[in-house]
Amino acid sequence: MKGAELKHGDLEGLLKGLLEKGVVDCLIVPHRAGKSVSYMLVKHADKIESSASALFAPSFSVNAANLVKGWTIKEKVGIVAKPCEIRAAVELIKLKQLDNESVLLITTDCSGAYTNQVYTEHYAEIGDQVDSAKITELEGKGITIRESCAICEHRLADVGDIIIASGAGDDLVVAGLTEKGEGALTALELSLEDKDLERAAEKEKIAAEAKAKLAGLPELSSLDALEEFLQDCIVCKNCRDMCPVCYCKECFFDQPLGDPAGGDLLNLAELRGAVGLPTGQLFYHLTRVYHVSTTCVGCGACEDACPKDIPLTRLYPVITQKVQEIFKYEPGKDVDEPLPFTAYEEEELEECLR
Amino acid sequence: MGEEAKEEFEPKIVGFTCNWCTYAAADLAGTSRKKYPPNSRIIRLMCSARLDPMFVLKALLNGADGVFFSGCHPGECHYIKGNFYARRRIAAIRTILKQFGLDDRFKSYWISASEGEKFANTMKSLTEEVKELGPNPMRGKII
Ligand code: SF4
Ligand code: SF4
Ligand code: SF4
Ligand code: FES
Repeated sequence: MKGAELKHGDLEGLLKGLLEKGVVDCLIVPHRAGKSVSYMLVKHADKIESSASALFAPSFSVNAANLVKGWTIKEKVGIVAKPCEIRAAVELIKLKQLDNESVLLITTDCSGAYTNQVYTEHYAEIGDQVDSAKITELEGKGITIRESCAICEHRLADVGDIIIASGAGDDLVVAGLTEKGEGALTALELSLEDKDLERAAEKEKIAAEAKAKLAGLPELSSLDALEEFLQDCIVCKNCRDMCPVCYCKECFFDQPLGDPAGGDLLNLAELRGAVGLPTGQLFYHLTRVYHVSTTCVGCGACEDACPKDIPLTRLYPVITQKVQEIFKYEPGKDVDEPLPFTAYEEEELEECLR
Repeated sequence: MGEEAKEEFEPKIVGFTCNWCTYAAADLAGTSRKKYPPNSRIIRLMCSARLDPMFVLKALLNGADGVFFSGCHPGECHYIKGNFYARRRIAAIRTILKQFGLDDRFKSYWISASEGEKFANTMKSLTEEVKELGPNPMRGKII
């Protein structure tokens, strides 16, 4: 891949350049408001802030891909976000909920993130950027990254069109992963040279740590355990709404069959003797697990969204990973790789039939 | 559960079968007077690919003691490749069911239109297996 070395201070100019040179028509970038970090949609280059303090901030508010889900516009949208967010955007392209020609996906390295509430509350201690040593140090003080981040194996930028990799101190490397990405960097008149950003050893270390954390999570291994886990769920479906890869225009669980009320509910009560209220937690979540089984990027947005503090990471990413394993599929990795449910091998999976 | 109670237990099984093969096989089993247990309620689909895994979830959560699916052999789908897609969906839902120990109650088969005997035998063994498992605990639950 081809890239260029930069300093943190250069990022502001890089992002402005994308707008000024017309490489993109607008940019969705992290935006700092005091102690907290969210996103903003920028049309005019002069609104780009000195972005270093926001770009790598270990704060998760929404999954940026969810912000553009279903956008089918001709204008080109640049999105600067963390790996799990760009991975979700790639899945949305495959799901035809986003047009590959209308986006420029820019991935930043991630160290693991705090929920935006935790980040804002502890900004004084966390600061603008953290590394694994800092994360461990803060953990000692009871300030912990999100569970989905603790088990995330894909923190280093390696998807999308352009990656921004952080090096020692102030150093950065920006590189193009696709023709589109390289073209954008060329348009910015950066002098590009061959770069090796594989970072295999570092990735292995992250994956090993993540796997250890995953092994330490309590497992949901029976229906009883799942029932107990979901006991407080009020079926508000916020987890669905904040999930970047849950995309149906009209969700089954918003229709009378999936969201029974009145007479329909009485019929169910008649059938079973009684129904719990709210009803359908198991059906809703098991269906949703299936629906996102190949596309879940493990971002944890569902867990963050839950008003009842149900640790949904233990359900969604943990179980969908197992489905992804049988198809040897890694969501968000390659825009040209078909979604598992749209492809098949003539001979496969016989062990799944019995 | 004691042996006696087990003997009395007649499981309710929901079956989803493809119109072109297994449904015809069930017909054939009937017309050739093959005996098999009457525990299965069969729902006819036009192709394996019509099997939405939600059907399986809904049946199990509503207390079906067993659920089965049966379609044309791979490579013999009336619509060419419906069962190839179905096989992937089934593999996914089975992985999820397995996590919660529910996969034992879900079986899948390939039975062609000419395999009336295989259908009857499958229904026998299936009914036995589900009897062994006992009633689906979801039946009595308030969900
Ligand atoms: S899930 Fe991974 S990529 Fe996403 S914020 Fe957490 S550590 Fe970063
Ligand atoms: S199910 Fe949860 S973890 Fe998976 S993609 Fe959706 S929001 Fe992210
Ligand atoms: S956000 Fe929480 S309470 Fe709402 S449906 Fe999801 S799990 Fe249930
Ligand atoms: S027609 Fe029988 S599986 Fe497609």
